[in-house]
Amino acid sequence: MIAPKKISITINGQVCEGEQGQTILDIARANNIYIPTLCFLKGLTPWGGCRLCVVEIEGSPKVAPSCATPAVDGTKITTHSDRLVAMRKATLELLFSERNHICPMCQYNKGDCGLQHQGMIHGITGIRYPYLYPAMPIDLTAKYFGLDQNRCILCTRCIRACDEIEGVHTLDVGFRGSKNQIVVDMNTTFGKSETCTSCGACVVSCPTGSLFDKATAFRGQWTSCKQVFTTCTECPVGCGLMVHTKENRIVNVWGDPDSSVNKGHLCVKGRYETWAEPRDRITTPLVKGKPATWAEALAAVKKGAKVKKAEKALLLAPRVTNEVAAAAAKLGQVAMFVGANEAALCAEPKFSDSAMQKLQDADAIIVLGAQPSLDNGVVAARIRIAVRKTGAKLLIFHARKSDLDQYADVAANVVSLESKLWDKVKATLANTQRPAIVYGPNAMTPIGVTVMERLIGILETNAGSGEPLLLGLPRSRIVTGIPAVEEVGPWLDAKPLKFLHIVASDAPDGGASLLEEKHVPALLEQIECVVVQASYKSALTEKASVVLPATIWCEKSGTVTNLEGRQLPLRPVLPVAGEARDDKAILENVYA
Amino acid sequence: MSTNGKVKVATMWLSGCSGCHMSLLDIDERILELVKHVDILFSPIVDIKVKDMPYVDVGIVEGCVNNTDQEHELKMLRERCKVLIALGDCAVTGNVPSLRNQFALKECLSRAYEQTESTKIACIPNDPIVPKLLPKAHPLQEIVKVDLHIPGCPPDADCIWFALTELLAGRIPQFNEKNMRYD
Repeated sequence: MIAPKKISITINGQVCEGEQGQTILDIARANNIYIPTLCFLKGLTPWGGCRLCVVEIEGSPKVAPSCATPAVDGTKITTHSDRLVAMRKATLELLFSERNHICPMCQYNKGDCGLQHQGMIHGITGIRYPYLYPAMPIDLTAKYFGLDQNRCILCTRCIRACDEIEGVHTLDVGFRGSKNQIVVDMNTTFGKSETCTSCGACVVSCPTGSLFDKATAFRGQWTSCKQVFTTCTECPVGCGLMVHTKENRIVNVWGDPDSSVNKGHLCVKGRYETWAEPRDRITTPLVKGKPATWAEALAAVKKGAKVKKAEKALLLAPRVTNEVAAAAAKLGQVAMFVGANEAALCAEPKFSDSAMQKLQDADAIIVLGAQPSLDNGVVAARIRIAVRKTGAKLLIFHARKSDLDQYADVAANVVSLESKLWDKVKATLANTQRPAIVYGPNAMTPIGVTVMERLIGILETNAGSGEPLLLGLPRSRIVTGIPAVEEVGPWLDAKPLKFLHIVASDAPDGGASLLEEKHVPALLEQIECVVVQASYKSALTEKASVVLPATIWCEKSGTVTNLEGRQLPLRPVLPVAGEARDDKAILENVYA
Repeated sequence: MSTNGKVKVATMWLSGCSGCHMSLLDIDERILELVKHVDILFSPIVDIKVKDMPYVDVGIVEGCVNNTDQEHELKMLRERCKVLIALGDCAVTGNVPSLRNQFALKECLSRAYEQTESTKIACIPNDPIVPKLLPKAHPLQEIVKVDLHIPGCPPDADCIWFALTELLAGRIPQFNEKNMRYD
């Protein structure tokens, strides 16, 4: 690879070094020279629409938008002159006059709003143009966020984020001239949108209060919030989280822009479901359904546990931290209950270093028996971007349809083994250099394994094709060091159990749905003492003799392992609610 | 009324919540310093009510222009003052009273007087003594020439103090992100 040519430009008399291909704004920012912007957002394609970043280039009579103008070696740039400031003020005044920017009614104040901030630093007190006061719609049909067209400045950052980060292109600009506005799909609402994944990338990219988190509204300015960096525990991807809190409440959850896993992006599970959704939390120990003290509850547990070693067992949900798993592994009969065909994926994963980056760079992606758009939104986003933006081939083998099917060159059921299809697969994969196979639980079935072998066979015959990237995606999480069982019923039945301790941790349903599939709740009734350690109420906690309240994701510390094999840290964001205790502390309380 | 060479001031309260006048009073004991230089001759917050609007040096207006009466008063003040200040977001942008601008006046009146959940007798006030609402609410500058805008809902007392002291010193106040607010 040839290193980009070094260039040097002069900005406001200061000599600045840069590389060929960088824009004037890139070089200015790298040299701490401030140029106001509104429609520019790092990571998105420059748009050059807001015209705040205009600069003068010596020798050119016109001003140029610095965000979209490549720097040319030796040019002299001026970022602030009377003419430029006057232009920027006029632009801002037009923006203020265009919609109904009524700051007192908006929560995005005091630094949260890019438009307000620019107005203030330009000293705009009143504007010279008549206000248009247009009647604009507000869309509150999305579950977690709203779109208020009154506050929109049409910077299109949401559109570009939707298209270039999440890859679904739900948003676009509709209508003509002064009637321009952001539209969802073909001018429908978020609630009726067929493509919106509720990932919230648009909300984070909005410079005004036009797109806003419902749960965040009026909880405080994020610029005045405390920031805590932790890791999402909803799936094996392990996205970095940047959580804003104020007065011990979560104000919003953003992706950590410095995380190499998600690069600031999140899916609906990580961004909203963990906190913006009301859930029935358990904050005190319960003995036979009644609130009790920890001493009483622990006494009841210890009494129940006074049975022979063969008569007691510990079941863990794949939600616990590595530290809890290690502590639990030392205790007698331990198992982790996982969904069908998930055991190998959860407990004996094959890690691949920097897999998320490689996935985006892949030129052929095969999704086999996994449902990333449902279970791992950030992986789905990477796949969409690779397919839509860099032209990667996409082959999907799954029983269930998903939005990814529309981009696929081949979409088939896993069991499909007809020869015509395989001719097409071979033709599609021909000449691919960097293939990736994303496989989930349904790839671990005998037919799935056959399909996988065939695919690898095809890839091996490809001239020049590298070793395929194998990305195992369990639906739950990767927790190693504990044997995983898929058939919990027989596992329990095989033991003369009198005491069962289930660590459901902060699974929203307490792992109940998974265990119900296996008819476990019925089996529990035959066990004398069932202890459920959980954060939320569920069918399991109702059946338990003793319920021990556990901490949730934002109260935990420790580490989790992601699909790249990295140990990612959990940091407490909020103080522990009520009398809940950490999973590991509870195990120590009970078994020490 | 003798003014002893002091700067003569009138303040006016149009369609606003009085919050800007409250914020003016929030300059606290500095008002003692202010009245050394300033005579407030006409204001909703002074005890002496005069029938005729006096000629003054500075007119300070809170609120936007919503009806014919307010339009008349504002135009009169403009004629009788040298410097007109729009104080607060309602005067500057229209703010909350301007929310009705998105609807037809008829719709607004009907919603307010005929369709509310507590309406017993549906009747839009039509006594000739009630000033007629304008079709739209207007920020001051759409009706008269404004010399200085002080945004904020309300502007901070410090912001008002800064503006007044700068004017008294013969300078035009320069606002930036540190000494003003929009919210």
